[in-house]
Amino acid sequence: MSDRPRVYRTEGLILRRRNLGEADSVFTVLTANGAKLDAVARGIRRARSRMRGHLEPLTRSQLLLARGRTLDVFTQAQTLHAYRGLREDLERSALAIYCAELADRFAVEQAEQPGLYPLLLAVFDTLEAGAPAQVLRWFELQILSLAGYDLQLDACALCSARLPPAETLLAASAGGLVCAGCRAAAGAGRLLGVPAIKVLRFARGASLADFASLRVGDDLGQQLEGALGDVLRYHLERDLLTSRYLAAVTRLSREAPPTASPDVE
Amino acid sequence: MRDAPAGTPEPIVRLIEAFHRLPGVGPKSAQRLAYHILRTAPQEVENLAAAIRDVKQRIVLCSVCRNITENDPCAYCTDTRRDPAVVCVVEQPLDILAIERTGFRGRYHVLHGVLNPMEGVGPEDLHLRELVGRLQAAEVREVIMATNPSLEGEATAMYVHRLAGPLSVRVTRLARGLPSGADLEYTDDVTLARALEGRQDI
Repeated sequence: MSDRPRVYRTEGLILRRRNLGEADSVFTVLTANGAKLDAVARGIRRARSRMRGHLEPLTRSQLLLARGRTLDVFTQAQTLHAYRGLREDLERSALAIYCAELADRFAVEQAEQPGLYPLLLAVFDTLEAGAPAQVLRWFELQILSLAGYDLQLDACALCSARLPPAETLLAASAGGLVCAGCRAAAGAGRLLGVPAIKVLRFARGASLADFASLRVGDDLGQQLEGALGDVLRYHLERDLLTSRYLAAVTRLSREAPPTASPDVE
Repeated sequence: MRDAPAGTPEPIVRLIEAFHRLPGVGPKSAQRLAYHILRTAPQEVENLAAAIRDVKQRIVLCSVCRNITENDPCAYCTDTRRDPAVVCVVEQPLDILAIERTGFRGRYHVLHGVLNPMEGVGPEDLHLRELVGRLQAAEVREVIMATNPSLEGEATAMYVHRLAGPLSVRVTRLARGLPSGADLEYTDDVTLARALEGRQDI
């Protein structure tokens, strides 16, 4: 038997929920120390459950848990911040759900990653305040860096040669930009123009607020989204489930932009 | 994986495995059910088998509202006393029974799910196209979104609202607030804030 306390308290952000049995749900939580936690909430799907609203995905909550044999069990939950500004807006909730999946994929159970929790909260706060979709690129670069997959953007990732200011290949397997001479050895990648490279270099060092106020056009935004998407897919070895939904919402909001006076009452 | 001890006759093993695949049935319950069937009168077992076969053969989705029905279109869609101008959108067929208990007399549309991006369920996995088709064709004035008040249910409601945007149809959402018998002390902030916003004169 371990000497860890039977009941413990932690702050966390609810990333996802899946149903278990008749009335229980399992929640994945990113805890304040950056570790991931799966725990079960008994009876939470009944209307009279006291914890129901406090464990909705995208909620920051104070949690009390009891150690269980396989999964820990929530005994109390209290909302700290419900992110209403995210969940009540179609576009912003889609962006936040994407970030939550990314955090879920990079977080590891019982392995602390001190920077991860503040990083996700910062993006959620900024999105809730109405920041543009490009902050996702900042988040992707930062989370890659936290995980040890920092992109080499200043010199060739393979031979360290200086990169001339011209169209350059970003190759995920090489770990960054690759000079013309190394292109054949670098594997699959995407050619990036000078503006895209400049934005990536800026995003790596910039604060979230500075990056959010940068003007990025639609074409450039799509180029960056595709390039970083390749890098994430390479490291995660899978597609992100939420990116398809995010694309559907983005398409819809181009075709039918939000009306000035919403009549969802 | 075999759920029965070695030496169990093959038909029983097959039945145990079939029961085990049902939701909420573990290996022990599956064994118990299988041996119960073995002891049951032949006629009763025939009835059970026929009921299972019928439900797959005779139940279809209504071509209008996607509700489960034996006759297409379903009873809700053909009932002329119901108001065709008001359509209540629900997640599952069972939700219709809950709404019916309130005395609602409009029509329905069943999505068979909600947007759940984290599990890979997107707009194309729901019966949304049929809903938009109905809104374009018929004289629908109002769509009531009766999806659950969860992140997924809210996202679905907002998505439908946006789809209906160019169609000049009023999209409404079930009110959110405190359930009867609730405890203010344990109520979450969003519910309480919504309840305050939606307060009414007594």
